[in-house]
Amino acid sequence: MKKIENKPEVLAPAGNLEKLKMAIRYGADAVYIGGQAFGLRSRAGNFSYEEMTEGVEFAHVRGAKVFVAANMVTHEGDAKGAGEFFKTLQSIGVDAVIISDPALIVVCFNAAPGLPIHLSTQASATNYKTLEFWKSIGLERVVLAREVGIEEIREMRRHTDIEIEAFVHGAMCIAYSGRCTLSNHMVNRDANRGGCAQSCRWKYDLFEMDGGALTSLLRDDEPFSMSAVDLSMLHHLPDMIDAGVNSLKIEGRMKSIHYVSTVANVYRNAVDAYCNDPEHFTFDPAWDEEIWKVAQRDLSTGFYYGVPTEKEQLFGKPRKIPKYTFAAQVLSYDSETHIATLEQRNNFGVGEEVEFYGPGFAHFKQTVRDLWNEDGEPIDRAPNPMMTVTMTVDAPVEPYFLMRKK
Amino acid sequence: MIDIIATAESYAQAESLLNAGVDTLYVGGHPFGLRLPQALSLEEINRIICLAHSYGKKVTVACNALMHNEQIGQLTPYLSQLAEIGADAVTIGDPGAIFVLKELGLPLSFIYDAGTLVTSAEQVAFWVGQGASGAVAARELTLTELIAMQQLLDQPIEVQVYGPTCIHQSGRPLLTNYYNYTGNPGQVDKPDGLYLRDPKNPDSQYPIFEDQDGTHIFSTEDLSLVGQLKIMHDQGLNTWKLDGVLLRGERFVQIVALFDEARHAIESGAFVPESFCNRLAKLQPASRPLGTGFYLKNPEDVH
Ligand code: SF4
Repeated sequence: MKKIENKPEVLAPAGNLEKLKMAIRYGADAVYIGGQAFGLRSRAGNFSYEEMTEGVEFAHVRGAKVFVAANMVTHEGDAKGAGEFFKTLQSIGVDAVIISDPALIVVCFNAAPGLPIHLSTQASATNYKTLEFWKSIGLERVVLAREVGIEEIREMRRHTDIEIEAFVHGAMCIAYSGRCTLSNHMVNRDANRGGCAQSCRWKYDLFEMDGGALTSLLRDDEPFSMSAVDLSMLHHLPDMIDAGVNSLKIEGRMKSIHYVSTVANVYRNAVDAYCNDPEHFTFDPAWDEEIWKVAQRDLSTGFYYGVPTEKEQLFGKPRKIPKYTFAAQVLSYDSETHIATLEQRNNFGVGEEVEFYGPGFAHFKQTVRDLWNEDGEPIDRAPNPMMTVTMTVDAPVEPYFLMRKK
Repeated sequence: MIDIIATAESYAQAESLLNAGVDTLYVGGHPFGLRLPQALSLEEINRIICLAHSYGKKVTVACNALMHNEQIGQLTPYLSQLAEIGADAVTIGDPGAIFVLKELGLPLSFIYDAGTLVTSAEQVAFWVGQGASGAVAARELTLTELIAMQQLLDQPIEVQVYGPTCIHQSGRPLLTNYYNYTGNPGQVDKPDGLYLRDPKNPDSQYPIFEDQDGTHIFSTEDLSLVGQLKIMHDQGLNTWKLDGVLLRGERFVQIVALFDEARHAIESGAFVPESFCNRLAKLQPASRPLGTGFYLKNPEDVH
């Protein structure tokens, strides 16, 4: 097999401008962000128009794209101002908007003709006729529901040429997206307008009612819960790519810079490795090691290879996953003296084992041997947030390399 | 004209419901209909259609599942057969199913029913543009919002006036997974009478069951708008749905009959809401409290 020409895009989340830049530096072909309204992540840092403009410029200079999620399900009156919003996004140069509500799709068509629209996963697209439907309406891309299998994607690809985007990594809704209103009913917060309280992750009693008699069905004090482990298709990227997925989506607009940079870096490297030489592709265990450094839950393949069993739900005590923290960001490096200048993000000090990593899947381990403050005075630890320090490193680094520690 | 729609679980119940005053029976089967009191075969549906038509009444058939490739592949013959046996309408929630229906060009009208996703007049207008003859409103809307929606539309907005509502559909077998985890797989065979309780809210009891479509969880209360029927009627909300997905047999028929009586009382100007509320409370199974869900809330209070 020759090199794969139509490489799928690696699509990363960006909760704010800094994350957007990091995601792109670390290899994302595209990022998705939220605006000040019409999105579902009211708590993720959302972009002002100024920040969007800067983000789009930054992305376009580097050949990357920016998509804006406007995936709320509107009630009467909620769509007010949406026309202006889409028009502004278009003038800023945003590459596409992600929408699930047909009312917003219509507003977008009318206000910003030519602005590409992607159907959000909130609309639960699960079959090829649905893809054909949205294509006939004029959408450019459909983000699939998380409930589809690889075989189903293959079949969709045989039936339609609309762009297909699918999740490859991150946390999952245990419901069909859009079809869960647990939060609405339990705490008056509308899941489809950004208010989800993650009620599925709570602990419940399960009981049987026969006439008036209640019998608990709980066993061994294990509460009933509906919490899914996270998704990772890292080990199966060739399947995703061969099935015809055009965009590999990483979940997590609320996630940290450490998370986004690491996950984008790994997927970038793995996708390139496979597409450049599919025939001789082998899985690099280092990808797996990296991914686990930012994992928050166990990982699984979701619905891609069958309906998830109990092993893909969080029951019992959560498995201990070693935690790494983001310790510092590289500001500059002097190749003569091997001294790096860092901006502190978390307390670290001399004697500690740390790791540097950077774009292009560069990474190496290091013991902190020395440390100086801004005035060049030797110090033991870097305790203050954002303080500038210098240290000797064993391998060359570059600005925007990041340093983590256990 | 007020239109009363009710689910039917069998031919026999369909007949009782027609005698109780139902205008439109709502039936369906696997793998296209979601959350029905009973999945019926095409043959049974056919018999119910003949029966309803002999009463001068209608039948809507549920095709509102979220469909995967396999289902969408089987949908063409199903829709053709429904058109042939004279179904008056189908409900659809999956745009792929709408696409198939359009391709077939059948004389079968469809009502847009995508559960939680039907929340504004502009959305419904979009689906009307795709051929929908009406829509089923999400249960997470307030009466204020429903009235506003209906005033903007010529097509009827179907409002659930009685019964439980689904608040969660997962593609996963959540009960089976739990039983397997706790090493008690035998329990899977008990499909009825299961509930979840949120320990923080000791009065809560959410019905839960598993079927081919995954796992479904329902509201802790049965919705009832029996006290608000006159206001609804005055404001143009005249398509009332009663859902018997969790209430089988004669009891459901009696409740439907009560709503029919309420309709006549409204039409003759003799409607006393308290009396109907009291009578419904007497018919209602003790294990299922009644409530008004989001209907009487202030839209501002739900974020
Ligand atoms: S409660 Fe859970 S399943 Fe429901 S919308 Fe929120 S995250 Fe998804």
